[in-house]
Amino acid sequence: MAHPQQPPVPTSVLDGAVEDYPSDWKYWRVAIILFVLTAIEVSTYVLADSVFSDSRVLIATLLFLMVVKFWAVAWYFMHLKFDKRILTVAFYSGLALAMVVYLCMLLAFRYFGDDGMICPSESLNCITEG
Amino acid sequence: MADTATFEPVHETGRDAAAPHAHIEHDTNTGISNTKLAMWLFLGSECLLFGALLTTYLLYKNPLPGQGPTREQLFDIPFTSASSFVLLMSSLTMVLAVAAIERSDHHRMRIWLGATAVLGSLFIAGQIYEFTTFYAEGLGYTTSRFGSAFYTLTGFHGVHVTAGIIMLVSLLLWSLRGNLPEHRSETVEVVGLYWHFVDVVWIVLFAVVYLIP
Repeated sequence: MAHPQQPPVPTSVLDGAVEDYPSDWKYWRVAIILFVLTAIEVSTYVLADSVFSDSRVLIATLLFLMVVKFWAVAWYFMHLKFDKRILTVAFYSGLALAMVVYLCMLLAFRYFGDDGMICPSESLNCITEG
Repeated sequence: MADTATFEPVHETGRDAAAPHAHIEHDTNTGISNTKLAMWLFLGSECLLFGALLTTYLLYKNPLPGQGPTREQLFDIPFTSASSFVLLMSSLTMVLAVAAIERSDHHRMRIWLGATAVLGSLFIAGQIYEFTTFYAEGLGYTTSRFGSAFYTLTGFHGVHVTAGIIMLVSLLLWSLRGNLPEHRSETVEVVGLYWHFVDVVWIVLFAVVYLIP
């Protein structure tokens, strides 16, 4: 049900936008990219043993794909690209605060191993088991 | 200060006479309506909620020995991947609904809103199926710390999706009754922001909870 003929929505009829909202075709293209990225994510599960022998590479790849997908939805579908900057600041301030707070919490619970790999939180087992 | 003008409801057959004046610069310090800014601030605060739940899950994801099945024994990645595709595509239908109302195309907006609600319902149905399967395989809410953390995290997300579906259906009913003219398109946009947020949260959960070993 694509409607590529739909024109962009002009800024004059939008709330607080600094740039026209794109045509529908742009949204479809972003969705196709998201679809492909998700397919790549899922393929890492199938190819985990044969291609990603190093789990650090696998984790880095998945985190990268996750961040790109997150950014694409926020930037285009949530219109952060087209709206006033204050909305970007409002959202990413909360996100950054959450990341800092919970990263500190994970570090406090020794979630990350000394070798730089994510360890399966055995340290917490020790705490809970006394 | 929010807009104080009042408008009469219109039906789809007639253009909204107030529409050309509906999106002029808002009389606020930011030039953005308070509703939209409040939704963004709310979403920023939601990052803290889901961050707390996700961190707890990461710390508790390995059950103690003898405390029920592990994630490797339970997770059905192909099934969850299909659910993820469904939720991702619902973001597309949602943004198309917002674009349609901005163009005063009520008919298409209703189609896309309905599609979004259906896709969201499919996702919830999948989650209920997943929870039921996990329970049948021996993972109850109190079986292990993994079970508690997993059900709380994904359950909270499911509740958010359900709330989104209720909002979408409400918008659809308002529109059918002629109470959603284009000068109130911001309502659709704000609900859309919420919907996209539950999608981005799932993007994170799918990668961190299901895919990362």
